[in-house]
Amino acid sequence: MQNYLTHSDTVKKIIKSLDLTRHLSIASIVTGEPGTGKRTLVRYLFPDLPRIDGADQDRLEQALEESSALIIERFDKVPNPDALSFEGKHIIAIADHTGNARLLDETFAFIYTLPPLRDRPEDIALYADIYRQEAQRILQVDEPIVLEKRALDIRKNLRSLRASVYREVLLQSTDREAIERGLYHYFTATFDEGSNYHALLGLFERPLLQAGLKRYGSQLQLAEALGINRNTLRKKIHERLS
Amino acid sequence: MNASPDRDLSFFVDKDNSPFVLFDATGVILYLNDAAEILLGYTDRRTLYELALTYAPQDFGSRTTVLDLHYHQLNFYAIQVAYADEESIGLRLYYRPRTHRAQPTEPQRMQLTNVNTILEAAITLFSMEHTTRLELLTDADLPEFRLDQQTFSQLLRKSLHLFRASSQLRISLRLAIGESMILEQRRYPVVRLSIEANGRYSEDDETIKQLAESANILPTLSENSLLFDIPFIRS
Repeated sequence: MQNYLTHSDTVKKIIKSLDLTRHLSIASIVTGEPGTGKRTLVRYLFPDLPRIDGADQDRLEQALEESSALIIERFDKVPNPDALSFEGKHIIAIADHTGNARLLDETFAFIYTLPPLRDRPEDIALYADIYRQEAQRILQVDEPIVLEKRALDIRKNLRSLRASVYREVLLQSTDREAIERGLYHYFTATFDEGSNYHALLGLFERPLLQAGLKRYGSQLQLAEALGINRNTLRKKIHERLS
Repeated sequence: MNASPDRDLSFFVDKDNSPFVLFDATGVILYLNDAAEILLGYTDRRTLYELALTYAPQDFGSRTTVLDLHYHQLNFYAIQVAYADEESIGLRLYYRPRTHRAQPTEPQRMQLTNVNTILEAAITLFSMEHTTRLELLTDADLPEFRLDQQTFSQLLRKSLHLFRASSQLRISLRLAIGESMILEQRRYPVVRLSIEANGRYSEDDETIKQLAESANILPTLSENSLLFDIPFIRS
């Protein structure tokens, strides 16, 4: 079994506690925002347990009759949780939203909350690197990719992080032809919004000036490298970057 | 009707369920019956002596006072103080009848359990959210015994939560030597779980009592501690 990767002490403690109670007849629940990795964690710890969707009350009740141990996914979608009996069973439930706190408190022995990525920054770098390797393999990108923090989107936790890493890998490996095709699609889609030639030039000039200033440091050197007048450069910088 | 002077009543006093202590004029114990010996496991001689002096009758004779007294899980509803001379004073405490009887043991609901495992899982969960320093004293060799795992786990989670503001927590789990409890007419040794700090919240006390009793556990809740006497059922 592959290890569940985390650098977060809180997540490690959740794993430890769930592992300690794996042979007990108790009901536990793992909650947390969407995309925090609840389902992956539970599947990693209990790969052999049957899983059932909480939204299907009939199937859930039948599964509870047939199984002594069960994973209930989307527990927050169970239509009538009061009708369920977990007595003498090992239950691991998963829920995006805690919803009825009283119900959880009375139903479950242990309630675990997987923290969102913003509260475990140590995992952001870890997963960004995992997704970078995965993206480079799938997209067949060999050149080195450097992920800047501002490029990583954690608003929807691991889901948005993965998507943002894929986008970044694509962007950093894009050649001239792909950039032109990308711009072509962009212009085609936005002509109806009233395109202005001068404003659209910003698409080219803004990143060029940002990259140039970072590379050369002084406006004098950059003007020389770009082959334009120093005053023209200063005017462009004022217009595009201020 | 008085017993004849030559009849020795000490056997009956010894075996009386109500604790009885006889002090001399300085508070030294001259005599105590079996029930009082148990009581002195939960309080001290000085406390009982002061209790006797506080509620003594104004003159020779006896006086019964109704008052609530709690010494851990021992609860009393009244005391009687009596003295016939200046040399000695007697104190008797009357047990409060139990108004709630623990539910009968349901063996099918109780599983052989390593209680240390549940305790460790609960402490791990607690330590995720709190930086409380823990002092843990458990008997790692405690054999498995029958527990309602679900209820006991809930009980632990809720109990620890009451100490969420404590900077330091002392937890001990061990067999209470020489103590026993009776369930369904059978006597069992006692495993005692104690959770102590300098203070605690109390908003869930009633729920904790209910959970404990539904798991056949005897709870003693005080200002700074929670104490649970768990029947050590091995068969």
